[in-house]
Amino acid sequence: MFKLNLKIALRNLWKNKVYTLINVGGLAIGLASCMVLLIYIAYEWSYDKQFKNYDKTYVVYNNSKANTQVFSWAWTPGLMANEVKEKIPGVAYASHSTYPNDQLISNGEKKFKKSAVYSEPSFLKILDYKFIKGNPDKVLREVNSVVLTETMAKNLFGDEDPINRSVKFNNKYILKVEAVIEDIPANNSIRFDFLMPWALYADQNPWVKNAGWGGNFCLTLVQLQDNSFFEKANGLMKGIYSRNSKDAMGEALLHPLAKWHLYSDFDNGKSVGGKIDQIKIFFILAFCILLIACVNFMNLSTARSEKRGKEVGVRKAIGSSRKSLIGQFMTESMLLAIMGMVISFVLIEVSLPYFNGLLNIQLAINYHDWKFWVALLSLTLTTGFIAGSYPAFYLSSFEPVKVLKGASNIGSSSLSVRKILVVFQFSFATCLIICTAVIYQQLNYIKNKPIGYNNGGLIEMPAQGNFVNSEKLDLLKDQLVKSGAATSITYFSTPLGDEGNNTFSVGWPGKNVNDKVLFNYRSAGYDFTKTLGAQMVSGREFLRKADSLNVIVNEAAIKVMGLKQPIGAKIDFEGAKVTIIGVMKNVVTESPYQTSKPMIIYNRAEEFSNIIIRLNPSQNLSASVDRIDEIVKALNPDFPIDRRFVADTYEYKFQNEKLLGTLSNWFGGFAIFISCLGLLGLALFIAEQRKKEISIRKVLGASTANILTLLNKDFVKLVSIANLIAFPLAYIVINKWLSAYEFRVSISALPFAIAAVLSLIIAILTVSVQSVKVAKSNPIDALKYE
Amino acid sequence: MIELKNIEKYYANKGVKSYILRHVTTSIKQGEFVSIMGPSGAGKSTLLNILGMLEEPTYGQYEFMGEDVVSLNERKRIELYRNHIGFVFQAYHLIDEMTVAENIEAPLLYKKVPGSERKSRVADILDRFNMVAKSDLFPNQLSGGQQQLVGIARALVAQPSIILADEPTGNLQSTQALQIMDLFKKLNEEEGITIVQVTHSEVNAAYGSRILHLLDGVIKEDVVVQQTV
Repeated sequence: MFKLNLKIALRNLWKNKVYTLINVGGLAIGLASCMVLLIYIAYEWSYDKQFKNYDKTYVVYNNSKANTQVFSWAWTPGLMANEVKEKIPGVAYASHSTYPNDQLISNGEKKFKKSAVYSEPSFLKILDYKFIKGNPDKVLREVNSVVLTETMAKNLFGDEDPINRSVKFNNKYILKVEAVIEDIPANNSIRFDFLMPWALYADQNPWVKNAGWGGNFCLTLVQLQDNSFFEKANGLMKGIYSRNSKDAMGEALLHPLAKWHLYSDFDNGKSVGGKIDQIKIFFILAFCILLIACVNFMNLSTARSEKRGKEVGVRKAIGSSRKSLIGQFMTESMLLAIMGMVISFVLIEVSLPYFNGLLNIQLAINYHDWKFWVALLSLTLTTGFIAGSYPAFYLSSFEPVKVLKGASNIGSSSLSVRKILVVFQFSFATCLIICTAVIYQQLNYIKNKPIGYNNGGLIEMPAQGNFVNSEKLDLLKDQLVKSGAATSITYFSTPLGDEGNNTFSVGWPGKNVNDKVLFNYRSAGYDFTKTLGAQMVSGREFLRKADSLNVIVNEAAIKVMGLKQPIGAKIDFEGAKVTIIGVMKNVVTESPYQTSKPMIIYNRAEEFSNIIIRLNPSQNLSASVDRIDEIVKALNPDFPIDRRFVADTYEYKFQNEKLLGTLSNWFGGFAIFISCLGLLGLALFIAEQRKKEISIRKVLGASTANILTLLNKDFVKLVSIANLIAFPLAYIVINKWLSAYEFRVSISALPFAIAAVLSLIIAILTVSVQSVKVAKSNPIDALKYE
Repeated sequence: MIELKNIEKYYANKGVKSYILRHVTTSIKQGEFVSIMGPSGAGKSTLLNILGMLEEPTYGQYEFMGEDVVSLNERKRIELYRNHIGFVFQAYHLIDEMTVAENIEAPLLYKKVPGSERKSRVADILDRFNMVAKSDLFPNQLSGGQQQLVGIARALVAQPSIILADEPTGNLQSTQALQIMDLFKKLNEEEGITIVQVTHSEVNAAYGSRILHLLDGVIKEDVVVQQTV
């Protein structure tokens, strides 16, 4: 019986190739979209979960209360790890480490600037990286040692055995390779190419040894023996700062490693989500698209009921039970779903590289993973089942006598169901159009929002190697300006778009004792505002060799301090009285979505770590860049060139929004496309059903245009209803999304108008494909059979 | 074999009952060849459908081989139906997607006849109808008469005790019609299969042993045919 059903189903599908194509195509796109999104979600979900005891591992967060808000960050004092290990019961391991940072590592002429982390042996107990060579228990103990990842080892040593070989680090230290570990997977919050002992870090930064509880400069990881200790341990963490130091601010808390990536937003010291919100949106999107594809299938199958009705009647008349008919229709839809799955494979494989490029990650179908197959198969079968259920139950319910007598109104009862389905599809599609439009509006708004300086034609590069020496920096400046490639150069203590140092301990005249305001502080060179293209509100920039106790502040700082006469005012900063010599307009260095934080800028050459170069606008860009590379290479031959356009790094801040925009654009497009297939199905059905009516109208003298209006009117009505449903829905969704941004566009009528017009045009075009055919057909053909 | 008592069928439309069948009472014995005749709209097809259990009477009692059909549940009714009734339609109603052999095999599938027996019974009947060469063709590749032969073969393959035929020759040319009627007669006489047919044609009715004349849902006449052919 099954074999025959299968055979009949295949013949049926072959006979109605267009239907089959539309159906399989719709299902394939739906399945592929769903799978790609699910693969992405699984990827994000798997972050930091490769470690054996990841569920018992926690990241120490530090909550600092300021006047208006609580700042939460995973930066802790160096003493934290030991204290936690010794004083808090139930802790198996605690480790401190730096965050990954690009450093120079070389073997002879092979030089690489790669991501490095400094840590201690317990770090490897908590995060059990897989060792390919070397003993995990013996590494990170000697000062001059290093652990390489597989790729790093290969880059440095080729196929030779790297163990006990030496590498040069930052052109200064000779390190012995102790072990090689597997590459750190991309879905890891901490990714590095080589790992060095903490002692080496302390050796390079002497202040580390004496750092107390006041400075937060490392990442502390804690692994509990058992999660039953969590409540108590977390309770004890809260007061750890105040127990150890009178002056230290803040409370510590344990945040699960497994949630570090997705739940990274804190509000008022509590975890309030983060990327997980976006993941949830994608998850809903994935299933909605699949549902639309199912709805599509239902629509098309029931639309064909007229043709299938006779078959049902005959089968029932020769003794088929309803059950076996349901079985037959189910076989058919399962078959279609499986065909869709096969095609979706191709679609997934074709589209993954594109998405990888888009998301900047490495997604791939993991063919060895049983979970993938289970997900794919269950998705396919569920799709087949859902898509097939309504047609199967509906078609099998036909009474044989009626269909065999040729009653032509079968299916009319299901018409309203189908209309509802189409309205549902289009509501969803319209919603997506609106949301996509607003996301792009928001993105444009933020991108075009003034950032306080001109980031076009601005290049930055780390001040490393020879450039740590300020004489060499001066030389660089001279040569660059002389070459004509650059007009002006300055230095900064961090890359322009990065977060950096901040402090609560700033005093100013008239400060309330309870005021707790977080100030960013950076060191900047001469010509800072000139190079950036930023503006001074009042006062002056730093002048050569005169300003060690003078600072420039931004407008935000003046606003918090409430100074009427800022120039010349003395403030307490880092234990000294400093004088404000200039006020500059706010420049966006951190999040472009938030108001700028108060910032204090001072002039200390030893803290410069970043060179900022303003390109000469009258010169050819690539020629200038080549010229700069040449000069830099000549002055600092030991380091690879590492220059970036500031505008590019700034763009990177919109990564999340861009991603969301692009994905909703694509999947919105798919949703609309699939919905149109559904609409086409409905149009086919209605045209079939009204063939006689239309023919009579034509005989009575209706023109093609009359008929087209008649046929399209209903669809316009359906899509309008869908629009009306979608508007409030989209408004709620997009309003919620926007509310997360401090700077946001106000929701205008434009996206709604775009969505309405777009959906109507698309719908009319789709329907017209069919209705034109009907309107132009010869009326006699239809009437002959009556 | 069939006992009808006071069968009524009407459709209520806005409170007005339009009767299709009224007070139909009759019985059909094993081995009879009954023709139902009457003008259009007399209720012939409805009566046949009720006999074939495709429709339910609004009132009345219907006994088929001693079983009260009206009170049977759906499963039992399908069971009874599968085992005893073969249907032949005016428009043949073959399944377009199936070959001749598959069309004939279909009722056996629903009867859950084992595969080997199915094959032999289908082969048998194809042989009997001289259609072996056509077994792999699809219905639309056959002439009307041939399609109706397949339709009859399909009705016969399940070895029913009764064949219900709704104007079986209505769409056929006269020579083909004669062929079909001869076949029915042969089946009736040689194999003792009960046949009930609906027909407009006096000629066709003459093949049977008894004629029920229906007018406006009422049996007007019930005559025994003098065998002249």
